Amino acid sequence: MRAGIDMRHITLTLMRDDLPRASLVLAELEAFAPDERPLLESELPEIPGTAFRARMRRAWGHLDRLASVLGELPDTAPDKPRALLSREQLIEIDRWLAEAWQHCSPCEDGLHRLEDEFRDLRHLEQSLNDFADLDVDLSRLQGGKGLLDIRIGSIPADNLDRLSEVLALSQHLILNVSGEGEALRIVIAGTQQTAEILDRVLLAAAYQALTIPESFDDNPDALRAELQTRRSDLEQQCAQWRSRMAGWLKLNGEQLRQAKQLLEAAEPYVHLHGAARSRGSLAALQGWIPGSRLDAVESALQKNLSQPFLLQSRSPRSDEMHLVPVPVKTRGILKPFSLLVQQYGVPRFGEFDPTILFAVTFAGMFGMMFGDVGHGAVIVITGILLRRRLHSFTYLFALAGASAMLFGWLYGSVFGVEHWLHPLWIAPMSDPIYMLTVALGWGVAFLTLGSAIAIVNRLLSGDQAGAFFGPGGVLPLILYFALLGGLVNLAQGNDFPIVATAVIAITLTILIAHQWHSSDAPYGERIMITIIETYEIINGYATSSLSFLRVAAFSLNHVALSLAVFTLADTMDTVGHWIVIVLGNLFVIVLEGFIVAIQTLRLEYYEGFSRYFYGDGKPFKPLRVGRTQTY
Amino acid sequence: VRRFTDQAYVRTRLAIMGTKLLSREEFAKLVAMSLDELSAASRFDTISGESNAARLITFERTLMQTWLDELSALLRPLKGSARRLLTHWASRYEVLNIKALVRGKIGQLPNEEIEKTLFRLPGFLSLNHDQLLNTDNVVELLRQLQKTPYQRLATQALRRYEERPDPFLLDATLDQQFYGELIDRAHHLSGTDRAEILALIGRIVDGHNLVWSLRYRYNYGLQASEVLYLAIDGGRALDRSRLQEMLHADTLAEALGHLPDGVPGHGEMPRQIPLIEATMRNELFAYATRAMRHSPSALTSVLSYLVLRYSGINQLYTIVHARVYGLSDELLHEALDPLHEEAA
Repeated sequence: MRAGIDMRHITLTLMRDDLPRASLVLAELEAFAPDERPLLESELPEIPGTAFRARMRRAWGHLDRLASVLGELPDTAPDKPRALLSREQLIEIDRWLAEAWQHCSPCEDGLHRLEDEFRDLRHLEQSLNDFADLDVDLSRLQGGKGLLDIRIGSIPADNLDRLSEVLALSQHLILNVSGEGEALRIVIAGTQQTAEILDRVLLAAAYQALTIPESFDDNPDALRAELQTRRSDLEQQCAQWRSRMAGWLKLNGEQLRQAKQLLEAAEPYVHLHGAARSRGSLAALQGWIPGSRLDAVESALQKNLSQPFLLQSRSPRSDEMHLVPVPVKTRGILKPFSLLVQQYGVPRFGEFDPTILFAVTFAGMFGMMFGDVGHGAVIVITGILLRRRLHSFTYLFALAGASAMLFGWLYGSVFGVEHWLHPLWIAPMSDPIYMLTVALGWGVAFLTLGSAIAIVNRLLSGDQAGAFFGPGGVLPLILYFALLGGLVNLAQGNDFPIVATAVIAITLTILIAHQWHSSDAPYGERIMITIIETYEIINGYATSSLSFLRVAAFSLNHVALSLAVFTLADTMDTVGHWIVIVLGNLFVIVLEGFIVAIQTLRLEYYEGFSRYFYGDGKPFKPLRVGRTQTY
Repeated sequence: VRRFTDQAYVRTRLAIMGTKLLSREEFAKLVAMSLDELSAASRFDTISGESNAARLITFERTLMQTWLDELSALLRPLKGSARRLLTHWASRYEVLNIKALVRGKIGQLPNEEIEKTLFRLPGFLSLNHDQLLNTDNVVELLRQLQKTPYQRLATQALRRYEERPDPFLLDATLDQQFYGELIDRAHHLSGTDRAEILALIGRIVDGHNLVWSLRYRYNYGLQASEVLYLAIDGGRALDRSRLQEMLHADTLAEALGHLPDGVPGHGEMPRQIPLIEATMRNELFAYATRAMRHSPSALTSVLSYLVLRYSGINQLYTIVHARVYGLSDELLHEALDPLHEEAA
């Protein structure tokens, strides 16, 4: 249950020539996370592969740009044994890719130019439509005529307000605005005297003038035909560029694929960074490995490395606990719960891993709030039917649905009908106060368990003050129990016990004293911090306990909603009755099921995790083959 | 109750973090220290590297990371519009990265050199610097940027750059878009938060507009209308018509005569732009210090703290940098406090 507890720190001492091969072997096993601390700096001062890394980066840069022009590059063959990339091969690949880019970049430029021309053409066509009803020769309007300076063009819509304001200040006017979306077409009028100023403002406003052809004074049909011809021309040029690209890819696709495969195989080596160090022909590699994979790693290295090596492993030291990466569960029934835990945080090394507890309590609370055999069965079946889309979340559906079925059996509820099954435990509506008491009891148990885990976690991480005085620590827990005991006594009609009063007074005094001493803020702020922090501890327990009443409230809500559906159905004829029953049940399953899932998650995160889970651990990210990390 | 406790959390956090802000006297003590003492005090001595230059880069990134960690801690209880506003403030450093990339590409610097000037930013600021670095020129860089959340900005910048390849036009576009978005997010806040945060942002924008408008107009010789277009909306005392009055003046001195009453340093503004910049900065910091302690809006206090903290981090870096490279006391004092040096 303690996260990553079998992690080992390893140092692999080997010959420098074997370093690329060793990194590839480790990456293929996906069992090694590099440790870049300069622990070996004094014995092995160099970081190997610096020049290689720079060259790799350049080569990937060329390849990425080629991919942006050519589209998806051919995939590498997964079953082919991976070849190591030598320095000479890398230089050759980099050179070839640079030449390939030189060959392809004019195509990219050409396509961008054509895109711009298409945009201009579109604006021209739209302008033609804008001015279709006016008897104006646009070609005469464009540019300067006498004292008047008129411009027709387009600007980004975001710039219109600012441009209008500034043009007004420089005696220009925007006469007409049309179009919608990101670019607007505008007509600007002003005097020739200020034309130069206008040019500069328009440049700052990313204005683009429309080039209106001489023939714009021609009749509209001839004009449209001319624009259509221009469009066809552009489409033809576009097709030519694309066909040129396709031809190049056909000729060079295989070489491109090989280059990509070699670069991918060299990725683990370049991502070692400072985790690999060397001096002369000797090198060492350090990192973290799950203890259970140690034997597999050693035998794979023995099989693949040509020269001798030494693999040493040790447990993490106390001063490096915060650096140890923790593997997260990525397979099996716990995967969806692990993903939800990771939404909150990654367990610290040695911390209690909440995944199993989360899975059990999530399913339990969901079932208690949504107890119904029929509705639970629908959730299970939906999960199974949608398993291809839901992937690992199918398990979550199955578990939550099964729990709802179990509680449905305990409540005696099938699709909201409470007389088909005899309840094994209790029908919620028969005694709401009892249900609320059970929910509160469950909340107290949940919070106590959370606090106990928090105390253990803090003690394990050496935070003794936190374990005793922090929220959820020993003293706040004693204070909580004393308050709870006193209130239970009061509720039963007795007095608030003197023992409870004494315990509350003592624990509060100690907590206040601790808060006061642990703050080094100025006097006034210290008082504020002490009051707020102590208030937070008491308030936290009180509100969290009451928060669990929702577990009972939703179980009652479920019955009430079903009753509403049946009451409505009873007012209909036979057909209407069954339509309302089916739609009503669907409504309950979808809407209430969704709300209950969110409420359960909320209880887990806010009342559980926030109490005991640090969640600031480092996820174990093993070295992998392929391009999975950035430089 | 939740809102009250969240505000209390933020205030408490700020009270604790506020002790990290160094006073003028504390900075003076740092300046007076020997390199060894300074290294120990600033924890520069814990940073290893192949050379001093490499250590300084790591040091700068460590300081930046500290700032971002503090930002993350302060973001925790904030939700909705307040959270979005602060997240956007952090993207200021992404904008600075884009500017550095553009300048590097214009200057045709090698990628390794450009990279040294970039901030390493956390996950929620997720620009892929590698793809932007691996471009041949500014146009290609901006085309890559069009494939990121900065698409609108890149499209405008590309149009302007293709018409006239002036780096300052790109800088101005980036700033305009950044502050435009920031003010837009501030308008989504409600009540006290909105009024208080706009007052703070307005002062930041005033400083930016004044300094850059004067630079564009009197150093670069741009037309008043063009400068007005490049100004950022949302200033507190310097709106566009006020700026217009100033910028129609023929000289810098004459323009300063038209400064409105609300501008800090009015009547005693220095006549050199770097000193004007320092004056506006000092006034902003004085306002931010008051707002951090007394603003009724916790969000404004947080933003004020972040502004002050970032400035403090910068000053610390400047001192260490100067000492490592053995710069003279005179140069260091001028870099830290140009107004004081000028008076001396």
